[in-house]
Order: sequence, then C-alpha cells, then structure tokens
Amino acid sequence: MAADGRQDFAFAFLSILFEGAPFILLGTLISGFLDVYLPPGAMDRLLPKNRTLAVIVAGLMGAVFPVCECAVVPVIRRLVGKGLPVACALTYMLAAPIVNPITALSTWKAFQGQSAATMTCSRLLLGFLVAVLVGLIASRLPMRSILRPRLVEEIERGSRHADHHHHEHGGCCDHDHSHDHGPSGSRLIAAFRSAMKDFVDVAVYFSIGVAITALFNTGIAPGAAWLDSLAANQYLAPGVLMLLAFILSLCSTSDAFIAATLDRFAWGAKLAFLTFGPMMDVKLIFLYQTVLKRRAILGLAVFLFVVIGGISIYWQKLVFAAAP
Amino acid sequence: MKSAALHRALSATCLLVWSAALLWFHGSGRIIKYLAPDFRLIALLGGLGLLVVGAFNLLTCRRETSCGHSHGEGEDCHSAHDSHDLHPLMALGLMLVPLVLSLAWTKDGYSAAALSRKGLYDSPAPGGSTFLSNAMPVMTREELLGSHRQTDDGYYEFSLMELFFSTGDRELQGIIDGVKVQTEGRIIDEQVRNPNGTRKRLYRLFMTCCAADSRPVPIVLEFGEPPPPLPENGWTKVTGTMRYKLEEGTYQAILVVDQAIAADAPMEESFMRN
Repeated sequence: MAADGRQDFAFAFLSILFEGAPFILLGTLISGFLDVYLPPGAMDRLLPKNRTLAVIVAGLMGAVFPVCECAVVPVIRRLVGKGLPVACALTYMLAAPIVNPITALSTWKAFQGQSAATMTCSRLLLGFLVAVLVGLIASRLPMRSILRPRLVEEIERGSRHADHHHHEHGGCCDHDHSHDHGPSGSRLIAAFRSAMKDFVDVAVYFSIGVAITALFNTGIAPGAAWLDSLAANQYLAPGVLMLLAFILSLCSTSDAFIAATLDRFAWGAKLAFLTFGPMMDVKLIFLYQTVLKRRAILGLAVFLFVVIGGISIYWQKLVFAAAP
Repeated sequence: MKSAALHRALSATCLLVWSAALLWFHGSGRIIKYLAPDFRLIALLGGLGLLVVGAFNLLTCRRETSCGHSHGEGEDCHSAHDSHDLHPLMALGLMLVPLVLSLAWTKDGYSAAALSRKGLYDSPAPGGSTFLSNAMPVMTREELLGSHRQTDDGYYEFSLMELFFSTGDRELQGIIDGVKVQTEGRIIDEQVRNPNGTRKRLYRLFMTCCAADSRPVPIVLEFGEPPPPLPENGWTKVTGTMRYKLEEGTYQAILVVDQAIAADAPMEESFMRN
C-alpha cells in the first residue's frame, strides 16, 4: 500500500472504530449481565399462550432483553432446549439484534443529519416485520425440518439439567433458582467476563469490517469503483449491500456507523444492509448451525435476501423518496 | 485453569489497548479531527468503560466463578459464558494489528487522492447537497450582508460553506455575485478546468458523525496569474470578489483573489452538522 493509501486507511479506520467502540461496549455489557443474571425461564413466562400472539410478542422481546446477534444464538439454543416454541425462538433470534434500544440509539446517532428518525424507524419496523413473518412460517413447519436432530431429541426427552435441579429443590416456586455457592461477587465477575467475551467476539468482526469499509471508503480496495458504479442502480444496490453485510459480519450495535459512511448508496440499500446483516452473515452461518439444520439456514438466507431486498426497493420509493 | 486465566488476561489486554487509544486521542485533543462533537463525549466514556472492564477482568482473571444458574449437559460455567469464537491469540491479532498499524500510519487527515474520491473536484450539484441545502435560509442582499461581519478592508466574512452552497442556488448567486468576501480553508491544487494554471481550490471538510463520512466543501480560487507559493493543503485566509461562471454546464463559485495568506487552523477544522 502506498504512503497516501496507508494514511487514508488509518484515518478512516480510526474514525469509524472510535465512533463504534463505545456502542459495542454498551451492548456487550448489557448482554453480559443478562447472560448471567437473567433466569433461563424468564422469557418463556412472558409469552402469551396464543401462538400467533406469542410470535408477535417474541419479535418485541429485544426491547426488554436487548442482545446482539452473536449473543442471541447461544441464548436461543438454551431457551429452545428448555421448551421455548421454535417459532418464538426464531422470531426473537432475528428481531432482537435489531428491535432493541441499543441498536435504535446507535442507528439514530450514526444517521444524524441523514434522516435519522426515518432510517431508525424503518429499520426497527422492517426488522420486526421480517422476523415475525419468519416466525409465523416456522410455526407451521414441523420442528424436525428446522432444528438440528440432537436439539429435537433433547426437547423430546425433556430431561434437561435445570428440570432435574428444579425437582431437587422441591418445586417450591415458579422460578429458576440461583445456585451460587461460590465466593461473594462471583456472579459479578462472571457477568464482566461474559461482557468481555462478547466484546472481544464482536470487536474482532467489527475490526475486520471497519478495515474493509475503510479500504472501500477511501478507494484503496480493488473493486471500490465497481461498487460505486452499482450504487446508483436502485434494484442492484440493495443486493450488493446485503452481500457486503453478509461478508462483513458486523454487529447490529455498530453496523449503522458503517452504513452511514456508504454515502453513494441510497437509503433503501442501506436499509437492506442494516436489516439483512444482523439476520444473516458469515459468522451467523456458523452460529446458526448450533441450532438449525443446514437446509433450514439456506432457506432462511434465500428468504431473507428476497424479502428484505424487495421491501427495501419498495421502501426507497415509498418512504425515503418522501423523507425530508 | 491456567489456560483460561491466560485467555482472559489476553482478552482484557485487548480491551485495555482499545481503551488506551480512545483515551490518548481524547486527551491529546486529536479526537476533534476524527469525530463530530456529539460523539467525543461518548468516545471518552467508551474509553473509560473499556478501561474499567479490561482492568476488572485482568485483576480477576484467576478467580473461579459461578454464574448462579445451571447449564446443559457437558457445559460448565466457563464454556457457557466465557469461551470465545476464536482463539484469544487470533482475536488479539485481529483486534490489535489494524489498530496499531492505523495509529502508526495516521496523519489525522486525508491525502489529496482520497479527497478527490470524496468529491473535492466533483461538479457542484444544481440543487446543492440533499441533506445540507435545507439549512440555508433565503435572504435579500441587505439581510445577507447585514448578517456578516465586515473587515476593516471592506470584505465580508463568509464561511466556505455558504459560498459552496451558493453554487446550487441561482437566487443566492445573484445576491453574492460581486461581493468582496473573506473566507478561509485548506488550499490545494486545482486539477480540473485550469488550462492556464492560475487556479487553486479552497476546501474544508463537512463532517456528519466521523471523518469517514466527511465530504469536502470546495470553491475555486482564481488568481489571474500563477498562484503564490502557499503550503499544499495548508490553512489559508483568502480575500477577493465572488463570481459565478457557467463552466461545462454548471455554475462554479469562483473567488477572484486579491490576497491569500497562510493562516492558523481553526479550533474546529471541519464544518459540523450542527
């Protein structure tokens, strides 16, 4: 890389990193403390009995239990194993990284001066609608066609470790018990460790994503001109940015800072980037395999690409064209 | 256990290095070149937060913990809450190598090539920039000049932003055309429509959130003769008369220069959204 290129890369890289890092920290602190302090059955008890209503509520649960997409998969695996309906789990898994206050705040901040309110509301609404749609479809499919066989067996056996503990304690009440027999402050340390673990996992992908973005932003990356040439195409641009989101594997708490710098692209394409990325990317493919069948992941990826792409193109014409 | 403690110590080190970078740039004042004002306090809090979380985890990396709830078969507390997607050394490399290289390479600004890509030499849009033009009020000549300070030499002090936006507004051009103005910005070679070599370009960056989204806000300087030697990309105070000329289908804001002298950088180098 030439000296000028190094200078430009460094300037863009540091500016995006400085902007996004505090938001990742905020998100991972919350997810770390939720991970340790939230009883496993808390979510299940909040959901209505009606299946459709439960899916809709699950799509809003991220507002109460905000987690990013990296943190949500292990949580979902645990909750599904404990009997949370698969449709609700899928809905929560797809919606929570978007429909949560941290993502809303970071999107709002990142798009200041660029119709921040419209973009934030559009992102939350589209994320919610798509997640609920997936949940409703999943609710009509047999569990075996979605979940990994091992997880299905676990659910069917109903012999999870927590149930065993519950009986041991006499089933005296309707909540999960704390079993902290360790030294004082042990859970606080565990929460901070969990937060640090989440931060490092997210920051690694964020760092890679910022580096790639900085290369494109300053025109150093090969193909930057080609990417720019597609930006003006209202039909191809959302697809291109969804592909970019898939490759970059950014965290939903910080991806808005990347999207906001893609200034040659229209808002609709950025909306596709911000909605598709938290639901499907390279790292999620690996994480989803701990819960979902490969065929289900492939189907989900194609469905999300087509639906989000289509709605984003329509959204660009309907909403963003009228935005101030 | 030793391995787990080492992994935690490595992760905590990553956090501390990121924290040090944020706090260093904040403490040295360089952060103003990278972030808009709204984000500077957030960056400071982020740096302090990373310091607390990193230091806390480093100091307690040997402590055994219990999260207080049960895990699935084959899972212990460490593997459930504390195990990483990547090996900590790999994570350390991916988090720190780009950061350290960037810290070594940065000059707190863009090169001319990057500025060019960001639109320094683009023809002004007829309607101005979509997200900025609404900020400019419509005024009469008296109102406009009355709202600007006049120097002892009779030049009206205009920001470069106002002069730039006048290129997209014929009404504003009619008001400003022929006015003697004083403005400041960074001076750089004019690479387009400069057959006689008598032109330079004066620009400042407009930043929305961070330097990565910043855009150059330029006007053309016409010296009428070979320009005087001024530091390339250096801050320059320019006085002259504003003119608007139709060139290749678009109106260019051209400041016919009376005097151009090197100047100190202003407190805020970039224009901010607010």
